[in-house]
Amino acid sequence: MRMKKGFALLLAGTMMLSATACSNAPDSSSSLGENSVESSVQPEVSSSVNNEVSSQILFNGSSTLAPVITAIALEFNETYTTWDAVDPSLPNENIAIYVSSGGSGQGAKARIENTTDFGMLAREVKDSERESIPDCREYLVGIDALTLAIHPDNPIVSLHESLSTEEIVKIFSGEYATWQDLDPSLPAEEIIVVTRDIGGGAHEVFQNKIMGDVDVKPEAIQAPSMGALVTRIAENPYAIGYASFGVANQNTGSIVMLQVDGIEPTVENIQNGSYIIQRPLVLLGSGDPTPVEQAFLEVVLGERGQAIIEEMGFIAAR
Amino acid sequence: MRRWASLQPDNFATGNKLKEKTIRYTLGVGALLAPIFVVLMLAHICQQAWPAISEIGFGLLDPAGRWQPLSVNPAYSLLPALAGTLYVSLLAVLLSVPLGLGCALFLHFYTGKRLAAAMMLLVDLLAGVPSVIFGFLGLMVIVRGFETGFSMTAGECVLAAAVLLAIMLLPYVVSTCGESIADARARWLPAAASLGSSKEYCIRKVILPGIRPGVLSSALTAFGRALGETMAVMMVIGNSAVYPKLFGRAQTIAGLTALEVGSAEYGSLHLSAIYAANLILLLLLGVVWLMARLIKKRMEG
Repeated sequence: MRMKKGFALLLAGTMMLSATACSNAPDSSSSLGENSVESSVQPEVSSSVNNEVSSQILFNGSSTLAPVITAIALEFNETYTTWDAVDPSLPNENIAIYVSSGGSGQGAKARIENTTDFGMLAREVKDSERESIPDCREYLVGIDALTLAIHPDNPIVSLHESLSTEEIVKIFSGEYATWQDLDPSLPAEEIIVVTRDIGGGAHEVFQNKIMGDVDVKPEAIQAPSMGALVTRIAENPYAIGYASFGVANQNTGSIVMLQVDGIEPTVENIQNGSYIIQRPLVLLGSGDPTPVEQAFLEVVLGERGQAIIEEMGFIAAR
Repeated sequence: MRRWASLQPDNFATGNKLKEKTIRYTLGVGALLAPIFVVLMLAHICQQAWPAISEIGFGLLDPAGRWQPLSVNPAYSLLPALAGTLYVSLLAVLLSVPLGLGCALFLHFYTGKRLAAAMMLLVDLLAGVPSVIFGFLGLMVIVRGFETGFSMTAGECVLAAAVLLAIMLLPYVVSTCGESIADARARWLPAAASLGSSKEYCIRKVILPGIRPGVLSSALTAFGRALGETMAVMMVIGNSAVYPKLFGRAQTIAGLTALEVGSAEYGSLHLSAIYAANLILLLLLGVVWLMARLIKKRMEG
């Protein structure tokens, strides 16, 4: 017994030592070097992108859009397997579509640096990004929208069908602590604000479109998934949160969606832009797509791709 | 281990040299891999945490600070989450050790062998339940119960998480305390019984004092487990970045990591601060684990 214990203690000692040793060693190259991401995620990318006869398509960027493109690509691959099955003029090669996710910023950056064919962005394209890409092309794939959801028993349902942006900011920032602060006839119960994790894409939309520079109150409950968020609201009459349009519509009856500034969250209002808590899902390309890319884009933007997008809880582009 | 240590290779007859060497080196590689992984993992965490440690420094442990890494005024204080982690874990251990100890004593002194084995089987089964199921039950039963029972507006709170965690820790406490009790029983019970003491007197005056170090070591092991529990706690504690209160929401480091690591931008200070949080958690675990080992060693020695 002695020997093993001694060894274990020694090991623990070295663990501690290595911990301090590491933290003393300043390293600026690897941990903050942004280039390391792409090279590790897609080592083969840069060599293949400029290849004219390439039969593979690379997507990089938003973690919201990545599963959508992956789902469409999977079905596309299962249906056709080789490119010439899609169209006889295309090469007789296996369909290879690679999707890697790392955030919208990374998607734009990868397209600017020409290390991917399409950048996936779950936000508007910035002018600076547009200017950095030669012959920049944007393809609107779909729209992601958030609805303000409350419990059907919340008395606010019969009082206010709509909340203004200022009211929403006050509710989420904690300036209105209880429902009574919003309307004197409401009960003096704490407003239970439910959000997704503050680092995630859903919260980013909400922050940008509603909160601006104001922070959500730290007492807010952070739900680990959209499903958990809706469950929480469906169970608590004093809760309010933002549910993604798709999930909210699967739960009509157990939650109620409020209007924002008098605008109802409907497919029509989201598509025409009058409902504001939304963000576009965009593919960012450069120049005319190659025939292979064109074939896949037609599916993504066509009936089948748009159906998959709706299945996944987003709103079709058209 | 002493048994193994005395088996020096010289004591064996020599057979096929090549075969022996192959076996020896294969075993050696296997034995080395685990510690190497530990060291590599630590090195990686340290390296990734370094930007946050050097740039934020004591801001990571600013008592007045908040955790709002993506705000216009970013703040990276880990103290609320650290306090939440310690609070929930401590409370869970305080709840589960008396219960677990009582259960172990009952199984050893008041039941037949067969019933004890059957009950132990059920307790062990508890250890095999996935934590997401505990979390789900916690959300549906404990959190809801708190809302109706204590008429709370939202039932997510430190106590709810601690109760849930205490249930999850029970199997570990019962089995480790059980070991100590079996030990103490074999050592002292015959003497105590021959002196004519009652069972209760013997438990109170002989067994309980005798297993004190074992119970302490069991509590520390349970505490270590509680520190790292992620999913179940995350589902019932509310994950609010505030200082913990018994009937208030809080956040644990494990929960914070699981929530935010997926969306934290690569190379950002945010991600690095998450690494720093886990470095602190790991060091804490190391200390707890070492203490448990030391106590156990002293007990055996």
